[in-house]
Amino acid sequence: MSGARGNGFNRRQFLIGAGGMAAMAVAGCGSNTGRSPDSGSSGSKPALSQWYHQYGEAGTQQAVERYAKEYADATVTVQWSPGDYDKKAASALLTDGGPDVFEYGNGPSIDMVKGGQVVDLTDLLGDAKSDFTPSLIARMTYQGKLYAIPQVTDMQLLVYRKSLLSAAGIQPPTTVDELLAAAKKLTTDKVKGLFVGNDGGVGILGGPALWSAGLDYLKEDNTFGFDDPAAVESLRKLRELFTSKALLLGAPTDWSDPSAFTQGLTAMQFTGLWTLPQIQKAFPDDFGVLPWPKLNSSTGAPSVPVGAYGSAVNAKSKNVDAAKKFIKWLWVDQADKQLDWAQSFGFHIPARKSLAEKAEKLKSGPAADAVKFVNENGHAQTPLLWTPKSGTAYSDALNRIIKNGTDPAGEIKAVKAIVEAELQRVAG
Amino acid sequence: MAVIQRSRADKTGIVIRYVVLAVGALLFLLPFYLLVRNGLATEQDITSPSWKLFPSSLQWSNIAELFNNPAVPMLRSLINSLVIAVVQTVGVLVISGLAGYGLARIPFRYANAVFYFIVATLLIPAAVTFVPSFVLVSSLGWVSTLRGLIIPGLFQAFATFLFRQYFLNFPRELEEAAALDGTAYWGTFWRIVVPNSKGFIAAIATITFIGSWNAFLWPLVIAPDQSAWTVQIALSTFLTAQTIDLPQLFIAATIAILPLVVMFVFLQRWIVAGVERSGISE
Amino acid sequence: MSTVTTRLRGRHDRNLWFLIFVGPFVLGLVVFVYIPILWSIWLSFFDAHNTVTPANFVGLGNYVDMLADSAFRSSLITFVVFALFIVPTTFVASLGLALLVNRARFAKTFFRSVFFLPTACSYVVASLIWKLSIFSGVRFGLMNTVLGWFGIEPIAWLSVTQPPWYWLVIVTARMWLQAGFYMILFLAGLQRIAPSLYEAAAIDGATGWKVLRFLTLPQLRATSTAVLLLLLINAFQAFDEFYNLLSSSGQYPPYARPPLVYLYYAALGQGQDFGHGSAGAVILTLLIALVALGQGRFLGLGRRED
Repeated sequence: MSGARGNGFNRRQFLIGAGGMAAMAVAGCGSNTGRSPDSGSSGSKPALSQWYHQYGEAGTQQAVERYAKEYADATVTVQWSPGDYDKKAASALLTDGGPDVFEYGNGPSIDMVKGGQVVDLTDLLGDAKSDFTPSLIARMTYQGKLYAIPQVTDMQLLVYRKSLLSAAGIQPPTTVDELLAAAKKLTTDKVKGLFVGNDGGVGILGGPALWSAGLDYLKEDNTFGFDDPAAVESLRKLRELFTSKALLLGAPTDWSDPSAFTQGLTAMQFTGLWTLPQIQKAFPDDFGVLPWPKLNSSTGAPSVPVGAYGSAVNAKSKNVDAAKKFIKWLWVDQADKQLDWAQSFGFHIPARKSLAEKAEKLKSGPAADAVKFVNENGHAQTPLLWTPKSGTAYSDALNRIIKNGTDPAGEIKAVKAIVEAELQRVAG
Repeated sequence: MAVIQRSRADKTGIVIRYVVLAVGALLFLLPFYLLVRNGLATEQDITSPSWKLFPSSLQWSNIAELFNNPAVPMLRSLINSLVIAVVQTVGVLVISGLAGYGLARIPFRYANAVFYFIVATLLIPAAVTFVPSFVLVSSLGWVSTLRGLIIPGLFQAFATFLFRQYFLNFPRELEEAAALDGTAYWGTFWRIVVPNSKGFIAAIATITFIGSWNAFLWPLVIAPDQSAWTVQIALSTFLTAQTIDLPQLFIAATIAILPLVVMFVFLQRWIVAGVERSGISE
Repeated sequence: MSTVTTRLRGRHDRNLWFLIFVGPFVLGLVVFVYIPILWSIWLSFFDAHNTVTPANFVGLGNYVDMLADSAFRSSLITFVVFALFIVPTTFVASLGLALLVNRARFAKTFFRSVFFLPTACSYVVASLIWKLSIFSGVRFGLMNTVLGWFGIEPIAWLSVTQPPWYWLVIVTARMWLQAGFYMILFLAGLQRIAPSLYEAAAIDGATGWKVLRFLTLPQLRATSTAVLLLLLINAFQAFDEFYNLLSSSGQYPPYARPPLVYLYYAALGQGQDFGHGSAGAVILTLLIALVALGQGRFLGLGRRED
């Protein structure tokens, strides 16, 4: 009882048991449900609690609260959760105090599905099914059953300052080698060439490095996907980038924040689509976007990671049917709200084709390019069967390859062993 | 001659010692200065390529902006932290004080067994039991409530241990003045022992308060709802948000440590006594 | 009936009074400490992915897995390296501060207060200053500015592993937070040394290092033992500054990853693997308990002098 016990004395931690693991941010475990204690119904309407992680854009919290308020058949209370949302939501599902409806990155994890923590939502889509981006639906489906409704598409991409590139006489890079050369050339006394996160790309380039070499995390048949010389070559390039002195490292904010780019610390940055409004404000029409380039002229293809928060229903909810009806209403029926959600607070791509076509903001400029990348070069961030343990093994390996310069071939073999054990566990 | 040499060496020694002390003091104070400097600067000042000792202008408005920021309920979290720290401090003093006295003074055949039962928990790192604790407390319906934040923290084995050690050395003559019939334990404790232990109680109170104010893990876990955030949680929210506002982050941190810094300045005697107690083995 | 009750209450109702004084505390300890601990031990024998009420008993399987897990073993090694470094350096630094402050003739209270003040800071606040201001990897970071005066290129303190500068960041943050605390303990120990001993030493002609080596340090033996034990246990529980300084975007690098951080990510984080997490925590607990008990006799825990 760590945390609790720790309260009194832990700070200076002379207390043996209470541990200073304070920041032990098990960020997690939230569980205010917003429900009344008896958690049943208020009046005749059922009460539902709905959880979101904290979106960075101003106005988003008010928007989801407004949507919830407009729903007539239940009293929906929105819980907005800053901090480490994934952990918080996952822990809350263990308790009786969890949410009824919650969003989760790329839908519930495979262990949530297999553990029976989430409800089958297959029948909610109806005719609309064909309208949703197929790759998103596939990502949230396990053994033919759908466990979440995609809310909005997010993606990551490379942004660059047009003026800096043309001043240096560089064309937007189309291969990793060109990117490397460009980053070196753009690096000056004050500005670095490229920013891919303070960890040198460990966090976000794991996927693009594989896709750009024509590979993937897992093969079609769900076996290990990158025991391949091209992967070795591709990961070696990340090491080269790291040691090139052209990479921005140790910036005050990370890749997900546009500050490093807008403050002029870097000429190019791999970041999220959500940063484009701020970048547009800082450098009107002086920036362009690119996918992560292909490995070299003969191998692979450009790529961008694509993900979506999916809305799911907690199996422990006391109002499963009401929760399902609410999700259907908000994320299937209410097209105008879905469009508003994707459009009013920054750049997101609606998860449905019919709406993506209506999205005015996505019709021109860099945003239109981004939509094109999603359609032509998009890859699901990670496959459903890529468990957290597999993820840790891969990011550990990336860390050692990129920062220590260890041999990618040996690291890939080690990752393969862990991933295969995990695949077997999940299949069992 | 020898005497003169020695005093000269002494003087050099004193100068060297004071130089070391002064440099050390500057280094120890520097982080505090950075906190305030960045808190009262503009983002441009903080991130300007050439480092400046002083910001170009003092942005007192950062404070108002922080308290007006709807994403971070700063005032509410300060009040929560204060309530939690005060209630927890009083609660720990009463519960651990009583238990410590009972263990030290009331003859009971299994007193030693009970004592070991308590001390054993000091050996177990918090992480071992963290998740079941959350599940347990949430099953009581205490998530995001002050109860959930306060009550599990009231049972501090270390405080009980310190109280017991202290009462073992409490002068028996004072207690013997009171009668030895049963009820005397209660009366003796409140009328004789407590009034004569003010210094020790104040010492335990201050370190309990500090620990409670700075606690991070449990509030983070048990209070996901903004209305129950403590100031440390509000701060970490800033740190982990998708975008970081540097000046506000630093001014928030400054405000978060301010109450304790004030305490350190005015109540240092008791805090020092509390720290000394925690390390004294005899 | 009444005789049983009387016996239970004890002579002069002593048993009853013991219950009234100690009972509330013990009850709270059972509910909020012991039950979760036992729950955790129980979990360690089960396959418990995403559940704390598992049904799939796996015996010692989780323990075997954890001991075979190279990442877990390397986290234990990380801890040992960290402890071997931080314990002696903090010990020497705080002892040095105490000796300096103790001999100061004026402004003694001022210096004591200054060195003690960081104790008021939380690890969150310290990490924030260290990460975003002092050891920021960009040009405007304080350390990089200082290096710039000497024409040295900026260093990304927390991002590079060759050389492992991140240890400098972690260690200095911890030293700043802790040194003053242990300085107070040493000052208390120094003040308990009888002045007559120093006078005797002076008469014998002992000065400087000799006094320190043959008088002060032996007299500080009890304090030193307590400080060492506390430092070691704190190092074992290291989490805050590691987590706040090195984690990014839900990831933590495989270096400078102490056991609690590893378990946190493996079990309490998205992994939600409570079986392995609990098994790892039990292994860690046994290790800590062994070390603590090994030194515990110096603390004289449990002596009851009546």
